[in-house]
Amino acid sequence: MTEVRLDGATVTVPVDGSADRRTRTILGPVDLVLTERRVSVVGANGSGKSTLLRLLNGLVSPTSGAVTVDGHDTVRDGARVRRRVAFAFTDPISQLVMPTGREDVELSLRRLHRSRSDRRAAADEVLERFGLTHLADQSVYDLSGGERQLMALAVVLATDPVLLVLDEPTTLLDRRNTLRLRALLDALPQTVVLATHDLDLAAAADRTLVVDEGRVVFDGDPAGGVEHYVRLVDGP
Amino acid sequence: MRGPGLFTAHVPGTSFVHRMPLWLKLVGVLAVGAMPWVAPSVWSLALVTVALAGVVLLARLPVRRLLRSMRGLLPVLVLLLAFQWWSHDLAYAVRVVLGIVNAFVAAGVLTATTPVSDLLDGAVRAAHPLRRVVDPEVVALTLGVVVRSVPWVAGSFASVRESARARGLERDARAVVVPTVVHVVAFARATGEALAARGLTDPAEPADPDGPDDPADDAPGPGRTGSA
Repeated sequence: MTEVRLDGATVTVPVDGSADRRTRTILGPVDLVLTERRVSVVGANGSGKSTLLRLLNGLVSPTSGAVTVDGHDTVRDGARVRRRVAFAFTDPISQLVMPTGREDVELSLRRLHRSRSDRRAAADEVLERFGLTHLADQSVYDLSGGERQLMALAVVLATDPVLLVLDEPTTLLDRRNTLRLRALLDALPQTVVLATHDLDLAAAADRTLVVDEGRVVFDGDPAGGVEHYVRLVDGP
Repeated sequence: MRGPGLFTAHVPGTSFVHRMPLWLKLVGVLAVGAMPWVAPSVWSLALVTVALAGVVLLARLPVRRLLRSMRGLLPVLVLLLAFQWWSHDLAYAVRVVLGIVNAFVAAGVLTATTPVSDLLDGAVRAAHPLRRVVDPEVVALTLGVVVRSVPWVAGSFASVRESARARGLERDARAVVVPTVVHVVAFARATGEALAARGLTDPAEPADPDGPDDPADDAPGPGRTGSA
């Protein structure tokens, strides 16, 4: 079981144009221990969801406090954390950094397999596991939105991380691809933490966090979390 | 955004160009690039252009893709031809343009007939003697990202130009250049973030036979600081 722990994690950023180096808190302090297999994070745009997710693999370091994954600090043990925590972005095209999916999967595997033939065999196995073999040699530009998202997931899951973090994975997908992605996520053995505006997806988790103005304002069962979020957005 | 040309992706094949060793292809690209200095006559450069066209056909590369790539380069070539003709003479201007076209096509043939992973392996081997100065994997990764970014930047330029045309601003250079630069900076930032998230910018570690929990993995992270 993977354990993610946030102890007073706070993120501040400099206030633009301030001469006296003022800062603004965009998240926190957050105290959480996440051990559930599926955790959803909901909140309005700019509420701090993405910053919260970015803390989990060290893409953003806490200005104060600490974040650990299975006891590994995301700042001190950043490299080790990133090998355990995969991160999938909203727009898969910015995630796919090689011209084709096969090459991108092979890029993920470069540090695990030094031999080219081993790497190719491992990449083939990953692509087959995700049902993407027929798309492996196509330009990433020629894939549909849903295919790109699946390819991006295959790319980050190729190294068998223990935790998968997804930042609004269904935002750019139609309903068919959203359902396909949900089925894939359901079948994953990894712990999954995802931020989403898709309330059906959020409600399917084991635990839901609602983030508002940089604070976790609800932490509990998904049905209650979705209800809290809807109340928050729709107003009294 | 679709990749617009020959640099977009590897074109699988079994032609002699595909089977050629990477070093030989690189020597070929360098030789073509050096031609304007080594044999600076219009006829020798034109001969290289014809030879490259033959290579494209023999390798069964999609000619339409090549032409699409050239279309993006055309305005620059026309401007260059006019400027060099004005500042030197027509023969010199044609030599300059042919030199650029040849180098462009040769580089396109290289990337189209070589899987990027082979290019990366080649870059790692080439950078190996410099391993005390720079991580060969970083050199390879940089090369891979450059290859991937060329069509993106070209596609972004085309989209921005289309938007400017729709607003009747096609003659306003600022309406094209400024948004393109903004797009490219945003793309570079997103690509950097994606690479960092995958741990590809972390310091290289020794081989890791025991998986992610090997003690050799304990290298400190890059220490990025908080940002939105």
